[in-house]
Amino acid sequence: VKVKLWGTRGSIPAPGPETIRYGGNTSCVGVTLSDGSLLALDAGTGIRCLGLALPEEPTRLHILLTHLHLDHIQGLVFFAPAFRPQTEIVIWGPASPEASLRDRIARYVSAPLSPVEVRELPCDVSFRHCPETEWEIGSARIRAASVAHRGPTLGYRIDDGDSSLTYIPDHEPALGADIDELEEDWISGFALAQDTSLLIHDGQYTDAEYPGHVGWGHSALGHTLSFARRTGARRTVLFHHDPLHSDDLLDEVADEAGRRWAELGGDSAAVELGAERTEYELPARAAAPAPATPA
Amino acid sequence: VRRKSGRFWAALEWGTKVSFVTQRPLELILARNLMSALSTPAFLVDEGGLLVFYNEAAGMLLGKRFEELGAVGPLEWGSLFGPFDENGEPIPYDELPLVTAVRAGRPAHAELTVRSTDGAQHEVEVSALPILTAHGSQGAIAVFWPSQAKDKGAAAL
Repeated sequence: VKVKLWGTRGSIPAPGPETIRYGGNTSCVGVTLSDGSLLALDAGTGIRCLGLALPEEPTRLHILLTHLHLDHIQGLVFFAPAFRPQTEIVIWGPASPEASLRDRIARYVSAPLSPVEVRELPCDVSFRHCPETEWEIGSARIRAASVAHRGPTLGYRIDDGDSSLTYIPDHEPALGADIDELEEDWISGFALAQDTSLLIHDGQYTDAEYPGHVGWGHSALGHTLSFARRTGARRTVLFHHDPLHSDDLLDEVADEAGRRWAELGGDSAAVELGAERTEYELPARAAAPAPATPA
Repeated sequence: VRRKSGRFWAALEWGTKVSFVTQRPLELILARNLMSALSTPAFLVDEGGLLVFYNEAAGMLLGKRFEELGAVGPLEWGSLFGPFDENGEPIPYDELPLVTAVRAGRPAHAELTVRSTDGAQHEVEVSALPILTAHGSQGAIAVFWPSQAKDKGAAAL
């Protein structure tokens, strides 16, 4: 299973000389399953570059949306494969009592916000609400579950063979709760991330910034480390970087993350900050275990 | 086999055992987090009517913290704390506001008496709200208020 980060920024694109190394595109992760099936996790502006990297031959692609905030769907109308008739795209996302997934996405993919309408897309596109139970795409079993964020929001777990990828880019599990103290089944997103090979998780704020952003739906570094430790994630990638965070600041956060993870008993190299175009190949078997939960 | 921690154990084909956690619905998680921050006694039941959490204020009313008691079913709850009607008779489980909220999916209100672990009785008003989601009922929340004129002990909370 191959994973590639195409957009790691949160909230709004943040291009510029200060963000060249970690990237300025918003959330998008490309996944190639062991049978060759293609997934895109979210469709932020990073999906534009993912689309340019795909071959022009007939393609079937699944886009798994965590939620419909603009930074997770903004790249849809600039996704080149959507403008090829030979492409089949299945878009998965959270259900809402208010309107169908198609209708909610069409609010963005329509005038005056967009030059094209959903019905005008040349590709074969369909929309599906994620089921409550596990389902299959290609060689993978997919699980979606609601997680703590603002509005209907999902996290995903993708199991393919012995590898697993957990993707929870917008998540505030520590809202009104102490992750270190809660029972496992009371931690938002726990089941999705338990013992996962690779956890891609919200790490938008520093611990010092978080008190000014309580309830905004995102995590501080300390929350993400606690979540990773409690769930036993083998490797953790902090994601959804704040648009105000420069490369230099993110380097400092990365150093701090590794140091704190090591203090918890883990391998400092098992925690890193997501950078655009970084690729991961998931191991067939889990390697370094996460730090044990203190008694 | 269900364990108290919420973990389940499953045997794989080759005989090794792994455990996995059954996740509480997000709506219950958020409700618990909110209740933990309230100074009003509040109770949380799941979609099956099992009491899965009450907050510190409720623990003060009952004389026992939730961490000491753990999740309990209605029969055990009834034997420990009641509740009772104005004549001191136990209120049938099916008539409790929380049960109405879970089963009928509508708010319910009642005045009743609960007994704390020291034997003191507290007259309270209870309002229960269903937790309805796109996937149906996930449980209910009940908030207790002391009946102002009748219960000095609870009013001191």
